[in-house]
Amino acid sequence: MPTLVDLLARVSFLAAGPAVAGVFVTAGLLVVSRDWRLNVIALTAQYFFVVLLLTWLIRLEVAAVKGLVGWMICMVFYLTERRASVLEQPSAAAGAAASQRRRRWVMSARASFCLLAGLLVSVAAYTAALRIPLPEVPTDITLACYLLAGLGLLLIGLSEAPMQVGLGLLTFLSGFDLFYVALEPSLAVAGLLGAVSFLIALATAYLRAAQIAAGGEGRTP
Amino acid sequence: MIAGPLLLLILPLMMAGVVYILLRWASLSALLSVGTALALGVAVVTLPLDQPVRPFPFWGRGYQIALGEAVTFFGRELVLEQADRMAMAFLFFTSAGLFFLAWRVTPHSLLFPMGLGMLSLLGGALLIRPFIYAALLIEIAAAFSIFALQAEGQMPTRGGLRYLTFTTLALPGLLVTHWLLERYTLTPDETGLLSMAATLLAISFALLLGVVPFHTWMPAVASDSVPLASTFVLTVSNGVIWFLLLDFLETYPWLSSHPRFESLVFTAGLVMVVVGGLLAPAQRRLGPLMGYAALVDSGAALIALGMNSRLGLTLTLLSLLVRPFGLALMATGLSGLRARNGGDDGLDALRGLGWKAPWSTAALIVGGLSIAGLPVSAGFTWRWALCRALASSSPGVALFLLLAGASVMAGVWRGLSVLLVRPRSPEDRSAVSSGISGGTSEGWLTAAVVAVAILGCVGVGLFPQVLAPLAARLAEIYTFFIP
Repeated sequence: MPTLVDLLARVSFLAAGPAVAGVFVTAGLLVVSRDWRLNVIALTAQYFFVVLLLTWLIRLEVAAVKGLVGWMICMVFYLTERRASVLEQPSAAAGAAASQRRRRWVMSARASFCLLAGLLVSVAAYTAALRIPLPEVPTDITLACYLLAGLGLLLIGLSEAPMQVGLGLLTFLSGFDLFYVALEPSLAVAGLLGAVSFLIALATAYLRAAQIAAGGEGRTP
Repeated sequence: MIAGPLLLLILPLMMAGVVYILLRWASLSALLSVGTALALGVAVVTLPLDQPVRPFPFWGRGYQIALGEAVTFFGRELVLEQADRMAMAFLFFTSAGLFFLAWRVTPHSLLFPMGLGMLSLLGGALLIRPFIYAALLIEIAAAFSIFALQAEGQMPTRGGLRYLTFTTLALPGLLVTHWLLERYTLTPDETGLLSMAATLLAISFALLLGVVPFHTWMPAVASDSVPLASTFVLTVSNGVIWFLLLDFLETYPWLSSHPRFESLVFTAGLVMVVVGGLLAPAQRRLGPLMGYAALVDSGAALIALGMNSRLGLTLTLLSLLVRPFGLALMATGLSGLRARNGGDDGLDALRGLGWKAPWSTAALIVGGLSIAGLPVSAGFTWRWALCRALASSSPGVALFLLLAGASVMAGVWRGLSVLLVRPRSPEDRSAVSSGISGGTSEGWLTAAVVAVAILGCVGVGLFPQVLAPLAARLAEIYTFFIP
């Protein structure tokens, strides 16, 4: 049975343009979507693409460990939101669910605004990648760093809901991590950055649980 | 033999676990937290740095503690130096005081275990070399603080999230600065690296210290979090940031001798004072008022640092030492009032509550006096000295400082006038009369704890010679302002 490192080695041919495109799509989805299932899937995929990009800069094994930390974070978010949705179900009106199903395919004003803002940030990130290249990293990774940091910041700025802010912080940190591993390949720093990401995930999950316990809005703004 | 730095980091972490398990026994967990912080504080102050000692000779072999011995932890060096020693003592004693107050006003709070955990991380941030690890430990401590800041049964703390956000945003700057400075040592011709490092450091510390326009986390954290936990963040965590800044200035003297250092720090402080002074009296809730008062205080400390002199540095350090007195008292008062008002600290909702909770009201007012820098309070000791120092060189700034203090006091006065409104209904009048005769709902033990804290605050105000020489001695350790 192939190990995680073997699997990553097999798909490492994607670690260039396709991975950057993947980062753009997944971070964009996090900005636009407020559906927790979609967000968790997008975050999982985002960590996969980040790991692919990391394989350019650091050893495959270290990149795989970073990926594992990221996927554990996704698991924390999944379990928290799953529990939240179970707790919220009795209070949700049956008619509301049907109308939500209908509305799912119609883009709301908020989502349109987020999409537009996300596109603007992406254009700014692309321009920055061309004009202000980051030291020690190739252009593709520079673009991915700027995209992740920019869209992460946008996500933080667009909402005060714990999960959205948490997703934004983690996206921002992923972008920085991608750049910083090239500057400081130390395992201790990599471990501490992983711990930081995991604790941010735990803290936001804790706040989400508090939100549910306090009977706050289930659906994030 | 036990190396001191390891003891200072591992003991609070272990006790955090024990306290968390014992959290249901409010007094036991609180007093264990107080005892741990106090014992470590006393150990840091009394044990010698240069030789191992046997603190418990009657125990079997008698373990030796070498406080000043450097240890390697996961390949990184941990060392307790003279400057860090005072900073660690500040950390432990302030935490002990906050835990002591929390014992009565927020029992069963996660502040106790999380506070001890944060103490370990923040202590590690002061002791670890190189500095990049300090930045990471501070970030982890900020994530820990969320658990302490979140009030039970309340909506998620917006302030805690903002604090975590700003700390996370400051992280890249600090980490990249380290790389830039390392690269500069290899290629000293590239002076652009130094400019870039200085810019990144300035932005990172501005984010961490709540410099305008990155100040929004300060009023937010005081607004909707557990008040004493927010005080922990505003004094202990913030204090570590200050000491780290001073360590940076000491290690890289070109930072303080940078031609723009003085004007940048001075202007940043002045803007904080002006913004805090303008917004504090406009608040309709006591929580944000406390946050803006802290903003004014931090701004004044930055002004003192911007004076670029030994006196300014002494005043900055004195501000760090006395700030906990004012903020802790305000937070205690705020906790008591919120507890009796269903968590609401809006001025409209607090009408007449001062008669039912006189000790909380007294704590709020004395704390407000101190943080505003008015006489007969701890805060006055350094704010008046700062105004006098500025009067000759920058009279306008001194005037702004006085006005900002008066603005904060105006906000506190407004709160007091609402709290002491005479009740109209007969039931409320009976509550007032029982409050006046000593039968308040606060309990004698709470009253005693609050009274001790008030006496401490007023005592430091009346006898500044207690803390001022300490600040002066601490300032002597830093040499970056010596020409």
